[in-house]
This record gives sequence, C-alpha cells and structure tokens, in this order.
Amino acid sequence: MFTEFDIPISERIQKLKAKRERINKDMRLNFERNRIITDYYRNHENEYPVLKRAGFLYEWCATRKINIDDDDIFLGDGGPQCRTVHFDIEQTSQSWIRGCFGDTDERFRAAWQVPGSVWVDDEDREWILEAADYWKDKDIAATARGLFPPEFFENAGPFLEHLAGSYPGHFNPNYERAGTVGFGAVRRTAMEKLEEIRKHTTADNVRSELFYRAIIKVCDGMILMSKRYAEACRKKAETAPTPERRAELLKMADSCDWIIENPARNLWEGLQTILFYQYLLIADGTHWADSPGLIDSFLGPLLEKDLETGVLSHEQAQELFDAFLLQIGNQIIMFPKPTNDQLIEAHQNGKTFFDLQGGAQNIAAGSLITIGGLKEDGTGDYNLATEMILLSYYRLRVAEPSLALRINKHTPDRIWDLGIACSIRSGGMPQFNNDDVIIQTMLDKGVPLEDARRYAIFGCVEPAISGKEWSMAANCGGFGGGASLIDILQYVIYGNVNPMTGAEGMLPCKKLYEYESFEELQAEFERQIKHYIDYQARLYHFAALVFNHEWPCLSASVMTEGCLESGKDVTWGGAKYNGMGSMFSAVGTVADSLMTIKKLCFDDKTVSTKELYDALRANWEGYEMLRQRILNEVPFYGNDHEEPDSLMQWFTNFYADHYNSRPGVNNGTNNCGALDLYWVAAGKRTWATPDGRKAGDPLSHSSDPRQDAVKNGPLAYVKSVAKLPWDKMRCGGAINLRLDANSVRSEDARSKIRKLIKSYFEMGGIQFHFTVADTEVLRAAQKNPQDYQDLIVRIAGFSAYFTHLPFDVQENYITRYEIGL
Amino acid sequence: MVYKNVKGRIFDIQGYAVHDGPGIRTTVFTKGCPLRCLWCHSPESQHREFELGYLPVKCIGADVCQNACLDACPEGAVARDEPVEALDKSGLIQKAKIDREKCTNCLQCTEVCITKALYASGWDTTVDEVYERLLKDRGFFKDGGGVTISGGEPMAQFDFTCNLAKRLKDSGIHICLDTTGFAATELFAKILPYIDLFLYDIKHMDTKMHKKITGVGNEQILKNARFLAEHGAALQIRVPVIPKLTDKRANLRQTAEFCASLGDAVKLVQLLPYHKTGRMKYERLGWRYKLTNVEPPADEFMNNILAMFQSFGLNCQLH
Repeated sequence: MFTEFDIPISERIQKLKAKRERINKDMRLNFERNRIITDYYRNHENEYPVLKRAGFLYEWCATRKINIDDDDIFLGDGGPQCRTVHFDIEQTSQSWIRGCFGDTDERFRAAWQVPGSVWVDDEDREWILEAADYWKDKDIAATARGLFPPEFFENAGPFLEHLAGSYPGHFNPNYERAGTVGFGAVRRTAMEKLEEIRKHTTADNVRSELFYRAIIKVCDGMILMSKRYAEACRKKAETAPTPERRAELLKMADSCDWIIENPARNLWEGLQTILFYQYLLIADGTHWADSPGLIDSFLGPLLEKDLETGVLSHEQAQELFDAFLLQIGNQIIMFPKPTNDQLIEAHQNGKTFFDLQGGAQNIAAGSLITIGGLKEDGTGDYNLATEMILLSYYRLRVAEPSLALRINKHTPDRIWDLGIACSIRSGGMPQFNNDDVIIQTMLDKGVPLEDARRYAIFGCVEPAISGKEWSMAANCGGFGGGASLIDILQYVIYGNVNPMTGAEGMLPCKKLYEYESFEELQAEFERQIKHYIDYQARLYHFAALVFNHEWPCLSASVMTEGCLESGKDVTWGGAKYNGMGSMFSAVGTVADSLMTIKKLCFDDKTVSTKELYDALRANWEGYEMLRQRILNEVPFYGNDHEEPDSLMQWFTNFYADHYNSRPGVNNGTNNCGALDLYWVAAGKRTWATPDGRKAGDPLSHSSDPRQDAVKNGPLAYVKSVAKLPWDKMRCGGAINLRLDANSVRSEDARSKIRKLIKSYFEMGGIQFHFTVADTEVLRAAQKNPQDYQDLIVRIAGFSAYFTHLPFDVQENYITRYEIGL
Repeated sequence: MVYKNVKGRIFDIQGYAVHDGPGIRTTVFTKGCPLRCLWCHSPESQHREFELGYLPVKCIGADVCQNACLDACPEGAVARDEPVEALDKSGLIQKAKIDREKCTNCLQCTEVCITKALYASGWDTTVDEVYERLLKDRGFFKDGGGVTISGGEPMAQFDFTCNLAKRLKDSGIHICLDTTGFAATELFAKILPYIDLFLYDIKHMDTKMHKKITGVGNEQILKNARFLAEHGAALQIRVPVIPKLTDKRANLRQTAEFCASLGDAVKLVQLLPYHKTGRMKYERLGWRYKLTNVEPPADEFMNNILAMFQSFGLNCQLH
C-alpha cells in the first residue's frame, strides 16, 4: 500500500524478531531482582530508606546475571531468558502471593508449570513464600497501613490494594541527561553538593546529605554495570563465530567502558544508554510508565554525525532503530496480577498468561516513546531520527512500546505521511498529539513556555514535561476509590447505593423519583463530584506520604531535573515539576443518561421519574418498549446535538475545574484527564443506566460517545468529542476512531485522514488515534486467531494484539463505532 | 434570489464522504435518477418514489413491540419470520418478514416501527433545512473540502439542486456536483456559475452499449461534457471500470481520448474499480442484485489502465 516505506527488514532483525517470538513462549517470573532486594533489605534493616534503596540498586548492578546472545545488537536483557515478567515483591499483595504459591501443589502446577504459562520453579515457589513472611509487616502496604487515617480503610480498600500493587512514577525519565551528561557528571555534581552541605548542616539539608550519598552509590552501580558488560563482550568476543562479530563485540566493549559514565558519542551508544537506564528504572520498581520522551531530539545529532563520518550507512542506522525497538519492548510488567483460578481457567481454554494481561504482551513497562514536537525556542524538532523511529514501527509492526507523534505547524509532510501510513498498518500507532492545545495546558499548570514546549506523553495519553516532571500513577475511570462519574451517577439515581454490588456511597441523597426538578438532580450530581474529588485529592496526599516516608525512587531522581539541584528525591518533591492525575470516564453513558432523564422526565414529561426508576431497578425487564424508545428517540452525545453535548460539557468542566484547583501532591498541580482502561470491567459492576444500557453491559469508553449511539457519522462524532474542555485536560485523553478499510483504499482517501486530524485539532482536540479494521476481519480473527497474530488494534490508551484481548473486550471493540463509507 | 423553501427529496446526508471530491466533504444525496446502471451501488437513489427499506438486524421481534408493523400494514404484507436468536442472545425472537409482492410502499409500518428497522428510503426537505445541516460540518471544510451534491441525479431535481448550490456559494462553501451528465444542456448552463467542480461520469463511449448498461444513450452526456469544458467548468471525470461491461480496452482508450479532447477543463480523471459494497443495500429493499458473478478487477489490470490514461497526458488516479 505504501511502497515507498516498504523497505524489507534485515536478516539479522528477522532473527531478533524470531528470538523474541520464541522467548515469548518461554517466559519466567523474574525472581532475580526480588532475591537481590530481599537479601539486601534483610541484611540492612536499620539503614535509612534512601541509603537502603541505593544499596540494593548497587547490588543489583553488581550482581545481576549478564547474558549476550549471538545475534544481539544491544545489551542488557537478563538471561538466559531475555524476556522475563517483572513484579516487585515489596509491592505485591501478600494475599496474591499466598493465593498463587501457597495453593495446593496440583493447582500451583496447573497455573504456573504448564506449557504456555509463565514459569515458576518449585525452588522459586518455596523462596517466595518464605520471603513473603519476611515482607509481611515491611512492604509498601504495611507502610500505608501505618500512616493512613482510618476513614480510608473503610472506603478505599481497593485503593490500598492498588497502592500496594504499583509504585508511583507515571512519568518521562530524563534519558536525555543520561545520554548527554552521563552518570559520571551527575556523580561529580553530587560529590560537590555533598561537600558543600557538609560545611553547613542544617535541619533542612540533613536529609539531602543522605540523598547525595545515595545518588553517588547509584551512579557507581550503573558505571560498574556498564563495565561488566564491557568485560562480558570481550569474553564473548573470544569465542565469536566470525571475525566480523568479534570486531563488533570488541567495539561494543569499548563503548560500554565509556558510556553511562560519559555522554554517548554515537547512535549505538545513545540507544544503549537509554536501554541500560531503562533496566535500572524497572529494577527499581515497576512504575507502569517509564516512557522515553523526545529521544529523537538527542539521538538525531548523533545519527547525523554517524552518517556524515561514515560510521554508519543509512541501512545500518535503520537496523539499529529496529533492534532498539525490539529490545526496549522486552521488559514485561505483570498487570494485572492473575489469580490461580484465572490462570487455570485460561490454560484450560487454550489461553495464556498474556491473554489475562488486557491484550498487551508486556505493557512494555508502560513505555511510550514520544517523538517530534518543538524545541525550547519554538522551532520544529523533527530530524532523521524521528523519521527512522516511525519507519521502524512501520516495518516491525509491534504493539509495544506505544508511540506518540507530536503535531504542530512545523510537522513535515513526510512525517505526517509516515505517521498515517504507520497508523494504518500498526493499529493506531502513533497516536497524534496536538502541540497547540497541550502546550497551553502546560502553561496553565504554571510551566514556563520553553519547558512547556518540551512535553512528552507517558503511560497512555498523559502529557508531562519530559525529564523534569514527576507524577504518581493516575487513577483511571475512578479506579481506586476516587471520583468515578458512573458511580456518582448511580448514587444520585439509586439513593447513595450501587444496586449491583450493594455498596453504599459516602453522601446520603435522594432517589431519582424524589427530585423535584432536573436542576435539583444536577446540583446533587455536583455536590457528589465535589465530595469525591476532595476525598480523592486528600487520599493522594497520604499515598504520596507513603513513598516519601519509606520508598524513594532513586532511579528517577538520579536524572530528573530538580532532584540533584535541590537535594531531594522525587518522592520528597525534588523534581522541577510535580503532577497528580485524575481521569474521568464513561462520558457517553453519563451524558446520555442525564439527557434521557432530562428529556423524558422533566422536559417532555412523557415518562415519570418513578416509572424510569422502576424500569431501571427491574433492569428494563418488562420495560423493553421504554428502553427502545430511549435508544431510538433520545438525542445522544456523539452526534453533534446541542443538548446532550452541552450536558457533557457541564459535568466535565465541573469535574476538571474542581480537581485542577485542589492543591496537588509535592506542591505540584492536579491534572484532570479523560481516559479509562476498565470500561468493560466497570460495566460489570454497574447496574442499568437511564440511557437504555442493561446491568453489566460495558460502559462507554473514556470520553468517547457510547458505542451504539453514534448515528450521524464521523464528522458529527469528532465535533461532539471536540466539545470536551480539552484545554483543561492537563492529563490528556483519547478519542478512538475505527475506520473501515474502504476509507483508506485510495491515496486520495488516505490523505483525508490528515485533514480530519487537523480539523479536530483546530476545534481544540488534543489527541487522535485511529485503527483501520473491518468488522469482517475482526470476526475472522476471533474464529481463527492463529492467522491473525499480528493484528493490532487500539483499545484504550494503548495498542494491543487483537487476538490476545479477552472475549468481552473483543466484542466491545467490534461493536464500537465503525465509520462506514 | 434564493428560494429557501424550495423542496427536495433526498435519501442521505453523509459527512466525511472521502470518495466524493477533494478534501473533507459532506455529501447530500438526492433521490431519483434517469439512469439504471447495472452496478449501481445505491439502489435507493434510483426511484423518485419512496420505498420500504428493511434492516432485519435492528428488528427486536414482534413480541416486544406487540406486532406494531403487522397491525399497521393495510395489505397484510408483514408477517412474523421464523424464530431466530436475538442479538444479545437472550432467547428466540420472531422478526418482521416483508412480502414484497404484496407491499405497496405505503410506508405505514415505518411510522410505528420504534427501532427504525423498517424505514422509508428517503425524506422530503427544503433548501434551508439541508443548508442548516450542512453548515454544522463547516469546520471541516477548510483545506479544500466542502459540500458535494450527489444522487441519484441531482440535476433531476434542478430547482432544489440549483438553489442549494447558490445558497452554499453565497456562504463561500466549495461545491461539487456529482452528475451523470444526463440532463438538458441549458440546465447545466444555468447551474455552472455555482459549481466549483463537476464530478462527471463517463461510463461508456459506445452509445448502444451505454444504453444497454445504463438504460440511456450517451449523446447528451458527451455533449454536456463538451459544453461544460468549453464554458469554463472544472471537471473531475470519473470512469467506472466494471468487468465485462466497461472494461474493454478499446472503450477505455476512447474514454481517455475523449477526456484528453476536453483540454484543461479536466483537472483529474479517477478510475473507479468495481466494488461490491452496494450489494447489501439491494437486500434491504428486497431487490435482486444483477451483477452476481462479477468480481472486482485485478490491481495489475487497473494499473495498466492507469498508465494508459496517463499516456494521454491526463492527471489520472485510481480511486
């Protein structure tokens, strides 16, 4: 379809790709890191948290197994299995560990020791049970129990579980500083700072002294690790199969002696530095989002220099990007943690561990690479590396890590064309991000213009200042005891109760038939949103305190701008900028439900609130005609109708204004966004809603209109979604569009996608991604998954292999709006 | 003077109509066409009269609506079909079944069908109403897009089409007219000032063959094409490549020659390979699809034809 981009991948890359696929089928839980941390913490219990952490990281650098395979272009994967599934014992719930590994032998084996499972040896099983005993009163959940006010235990059980399941750190680490400044220079600065404050110890800087000592230790560890790889390369060179490979390994050895301590001198060294740093970040803790932001910006000059001096040919450079992309996707984080019941059932149905991971093979450490954008001075930041990274995605067709392409008036035509071609081929990668509006949202947070221009996307769709901002994992869709619009809607309708679960909310209120007017119901909705946001904002402060108190993140602090300067870890507020996201979701379901109540019960008065309430209570049983009337006659969000769209604007603005105005953690900002990873699961715990949705059915996705409510075509759809207050969505959001193959049939038709994106951006949208997939193809993939292994679709904030998605998510995806032309 | 209340009969308004001219466009489809092309992909566009359309997938079963359509039909043309499983797998339902022999297209059933599974194949509207609707999409029209008036044959509802075009033109919106060219020349002369680009079909160069596959000869169509070219119109010629019907090399070569003879007026020639997407629309109307054993032409063939058109110096693309 795009012959100009169809340059075949090299034989060596094919081998690396095959290796990755082979190893995908032979995965293990990663115990190496967990043994190192457990041993270190056990032997150094009295060490101050930040020193203890540094000690562990140094130990990991010094002792982790090193493995180099014959075809490897880059280094750093643990061995012998290059892809292992990471989890952190100190943040994994005790009940999960005991549930999985304390189970009967038979069930343990059925879950963890059958073909297709992520393998756990008997020996590792025995070890983890014993280690879990050690961590019982010392893990992150234990810290949380020790400092959370009692009210949160009553209301935020799931949040504590979430907290214990994930480190904070939903951010763009400063890979650029690692590659252009190096750990040696950071170490020197830390030494100087240490000397300086030793002369004037005060109550304010006494903790910083410990921090600088910790940073020095981490730098020492990283420099040591790189040199260990240099040694390993030399050793490997002795038995290299060919003289070329021998020379290559020796060259790699020389580079490893230099990099990490010093700035990268060429493209290979730049890419290898990113990878080494990435391994440190993941070993420190599975943050969910160690996202390389704007890496093309510092790789570009290295690439140009290599091409000019003849160090690399164009093809060799492309091969390096290909290999880098395959390797950075090798880090897998367990998300969510499956129980033995789920695993056994999956194995019995011919499914694997990864089918339980939301369709993502790895969530690639939540990695998302951002490319393009603006330089600090406002000029366009696109170079040959931008193009080559896109081309690698186009060629390799991988689902991870995610890719974001920043769009502004400087975006070159070729980058636009490649981005669209790549997106058509690789299921929604890259996503397109609108610089004009996103930079404005950064300015609104108080970020100066030159820094605002250097934002990158992390996680799924969230923007932050690359390398300078620390943020905690945002709740998505109210996950974690926060302000979930759909839960609040239920409370307002059913009188402070979720009829599906029987759970009561925090604010007693009326039932649907007790409101005198729609305005009264709206006021109640606002009162509840306000309450839950306040509650959530308070909760986040305590969550931040957990990490501030005992769980520093030195791997981030060592490079993040602000930490070295201030002598503070990121968890102590050391980063230059701090953010805390909150995502609302189910916008379509909520807007349409409110519209139904308003139109039928209060405006037209054709249905009484009591009748609607009874119908909802009965889950529409006996009220099918009413349900059909609602589905077919009420104007819904997503069709460019004034009324439902303005209802949507009312509650999204209210949410955003209130959340954004609360004081954020670490004296940073609160950042509202619109994204959801759990719309199918959340639907299962949501009773019938007034928009005609039945109990248990999926909710609408993120800020998208409801799947089946879109009747006026793509322009109306896009226009409705553009009405969201995107300028207040500092934490991003997504619009999901599925186009059919017909709409990209001709070059002329494909050129219109760019115009559509541009129009949407001019209307204020901040992010756009689309998938091209016909319903027919998706149905065929359900029937014969083996033939569609590389079919990638965009499902929420990330792309995933369609055949790995759970069946209900597949179904929801198929019925989600498709633009037929 | 624009007659805002001029009535028109249309069957659809579609946004993001990527195949109907340059840029992002919204297309208005008028109902009724003097041609009967065998490959027509919108059968509902052909007749001026409304037909009963039926989308069984939307029918929720006669039990739920308590036989609404059965009771509404004065001819007894609607019955309960064999039980089938409901879409949500909640059980068996009996959907409506239309006896097309008995149906007189009175459309009374469409008025009671709550899910719009039964629907009328179009509606009456006014220039003003359509204009207001089109304005909503205006934010997408920059960058070369606009409105396309298509059909059916929009020239068959000349008053409506011409007034709508005028109204849009007054607002500075780019207008394409997608036409078969089968209308009186003086009407083209009248509408010419309001149309920025004619999407003009040349279906066959041999009039006998043209009559066989479309129902009318091509003399008027070729004459109008020349007229428009000579009077300053911009033309985007569209050539359907239908296996067995229009795909003879001699015919396509003559088509290319004809396009070339129109000179600078021809901005672009688009070759439209046959596709089957219109097929299910026939089922909805209860009609028989006539080209059952025709397959889309091979890519290689299309590329050869493309090269041939380009050899005439024409700006040509596959569509």
